[in-house]
Amino acid sequence: MSTVNPPKEQGLVEYRVDRILEEANTDTRIVVLARQDDALDTFPIWVGAAEGNAIKLALDAMITPRPMSHDLIKSFAEHLNVTIQRVVIADVKSSTYYATVYVANKGVERTIDARPSDAISLALRAHCPIYITQDVLTRRSTTNLDAWLSKLESKNIGTPEVQET
Amino acid sequence: MFDPYNNAYIVVLRDEEHSDMLPIWVGKSEAGSISMAMENVTPPRPMTHDFMKSFLDAYNAKVISVVITDLSEHTYFAKIHLMYEDSEYTVDARPSDAIALALRSNAPVFANDTVITKQSSEELEQWLENLKPEDFGKLDS
Repeated sequence: MSTVNPPKEQGLVEYRVDRILEEANTDTRIVVLARQDDALDTFPIWVGAAEGNAIKLALDAMITPRPMSHDLIKSFAEHLNVTIQRVVIADVKSSTYYATVYVANKGVERTIDARPSDAISLALRAHCPIYITQDVLTRRSTTNLDAWLSKLESKNIGTPEVQET
Repeated sequence: MFDPYNNAYIVVLRDEEHSDMLPIWVGKSEAGSISMAMENVTPPRPMTHDFMKSFLDAYNAKVISVVITDLSEHTYFAKIHLMYEDSEYTVDARPSDAIALALRSNAPVFANDTVITKQSSEELEQWLENLKPEDFGKLDS
């Protein structure tokens, strides 16, 4: 088995950060990813406010007076002569997405486990591609549907009680 | 510690003899990251500084020390000293990132003399006296 699989063989689809939405009442942000090939599909990821802001800063190409955390990681990479190759949203478990950051130096590729927010924040600063595995793309729809259904069900159960009181 | 007046958090550094204190104002998420490392909390998923540490670990790069070099009005400066393949590297950082990383790397945190004299601890003590008990422990809420 080869250690470096070209992205296509792993069934990866490239996405880009389309926009960041604010969910004011929960203090979270939604990172909306869109397919790089412009096929109609968006992939939302819920992240914390600080994580969302870190992505927004990179998306808007804002230059902060002092290096933010992900600028520092990029700076470490530059000092160690490490290139950030790509980030992959590779798994989803109980509605939590798992990302992998692929880094390389001297022709050796290594992987680092990360939250999607850190992976995306770094990808935007390192100008490397963001991929989602076909497996995650297939499974997220059911996860979303389940979450949506359970929300709907709890609402349906809840409504009569509200009306009775 | 929460600063209700500036809606920010304060990381209080003390010297080894507990004689000098150095307050550093940081944001909420930075404070959260530092307090998690102080309390040895392992989050279910790596937080940004855990990821930063994994990144350095992947290349066997060691944090030797961090130094708070300047705290002027709105710009705070720190340096992270790294050892990688027998060479030392100095990387510019914000004190909050430097401290969060030092705590995860068991590396010492130093402050330049000039920073300590500049930021008189009297100021902080006065500020502490004005604090009410309910101002503490807000970090978790």
